[in-house]
Amino acid sequence: MIKIKGINNNLVVVFGEGSFDDYYAFLQERFNSNKQLFGGSRVVFKGEGLQLLNQQELSQLQRLCLDNGMILNNSEILLNKKAPEKNQERDTVIYRNVRSGQKIISEGSVLVWGDVHESAEIIAAQDIIVLGKLQGIAHAGYRGNLDSVVFALELSPSQIRIANKISRSADEPVQATGPEIAFWEDDNICIKEYRSRNNTGR
Amino acid sequence: MGEQKEGAQVIVVTSGKGGVGKTTTVANVSTSLAKMGYKIAVMDLDIGLKKLDLILGLENRVIYDIVQLIEGECTLKQALVKDKRFPELSMLPAAQTRNKDEIQPEQVKEICEQMRADFDYIFIDCPAGIEQGFRNAIIAADKAIVVTNPEISAVRDADRIIGMLESAGFTDIMLVVNRIQSEMVKKGDMLSIEDLMEHLCIELLGVVPEDKRVLISTNKGEPIILNEHSIAATAFNNIAARLTGKEIEFPTFEENSFWNKIRNLGRNLFPNK
Repeated sequence: MIKIKGINNNLVVVFGEGSFDDYYAFLQERFNSNKQLFGGSRVVFKGEGLQLLNQQELSQLQRLCLDNGMILNNSEILLNKKAPEKNQERDTVIYRNVRSGQKIISEGSVLVWGDVHESAEIIAAQDIIVLGKLQGIAHAGYRGNLDSVVFALELSPSQIRIANKISRSADEPVQATGPEIAFWEDDNICIKEYRSRNNTGR
Repeated sequence: MGEQKEGAQVIVVTSGKGGVGKTTTVANVSTSLAKMGYKIAVMDLDIGLKKLDLILGLENRVIYDIVQLIEGECTLKQALVKDKRFPELSMLPAAQTRNKDEIQPEQVKEICEQMRADFDYIFIDCPAGIEQGFRNAIIAADKAIVVTNPEISAVRDADRIIGMLESAGFTDIMLVVNRIQSEMVKKGDMLSIEDLMEHLCIELLGVVPEDKRVLISTNKGEPIILNEHSIAATAFNNIAARLTGKEIEFPTFEENSFWNKIRNLGRNLFPNK
């Protein structure tokens, strides 16, 4: 279920089939059995099994590594491409402006009938749609769904994040011409004038 | 309780950012209303950094403060300081030697409920920030006035405060824009009222132009509204009148042309014409 290999000075933990509890018990036992071997080594998580974990479970595993003196060396971990059943997808609809310092988190998509002001945050497991001006921070697909998009009638956010990718706005403000959509393509967050959903090529 | 609600309107004046003119607004709007004959109380909740007594010129007359009142060392009547110039204006001073965590929102609410019956308006001068002092200040209020300056840091904080007021259930939130400079707005160097309104989307209660005389009168402990030549005084009087339900047009500060200046000069020199 779990294999631990040494590759390029990294300790690669490959997660095979199994449950979180199995993983945790296994790693705990291995780490305890030889603290000196694991302490100080750099750890990379890999494998299909990771896909079935949620954020909390992953953090607990990472915590376990840290507690045993290891260094986390993953640049990215994509979780839950297939969202587990227990995470019910629930869309959130907001009928007001989201003001500075307010934070909206949704396990589905977020629809805002209003503006999202600077330093407000919208975080969604899926898409973010703002029927107004988006000036704050939008994080679509925060559980790792790269197919998520951000749409706004006026798209001028300080940052857009899709899954684990971040793009910040240009220092020189660009005057938006109309509704725009931000999506993930070729390792970049792209922004296009919006015509229809097909516009994104998906 | 319900009966008491029929008394005074409790209005909290807040801003998030410090130094935008909360206390100046409280001092002048309350004095203006007192001058009109309304019974006014002002409550300074900036405990530890009190300024309202100073700006109203009542510092020497303070004997007890709100913390002593809450701790039962004095009665409400003893703690209230009356303004000799305006018999209708009373102030409940803050304590300078204590801090904001020493009182609880419920206690502020209780004092306000006691005062409602005796006044027409109660103004609460809220401290800067969004911590305990802010929570103490908003608990008893029916309405809120958010003061901001035409600069992005103040507007950002105002936005945050409006969000927090909305979450706290406020539906009546009004905006006062303080220290606007028409020249700079015209050149595009300062946010205009239109920019601010578009961003903050709440009701505009007043626009106070930059006026050096405000500083002078603050240092003297005399509210600026006593100075008839001041453009800021007019603005504060307009705010007070709007609070009583009068509809007063907003002067267009943007059209501060040469001729308007001459006209204003004339108005100031011959206030009766």
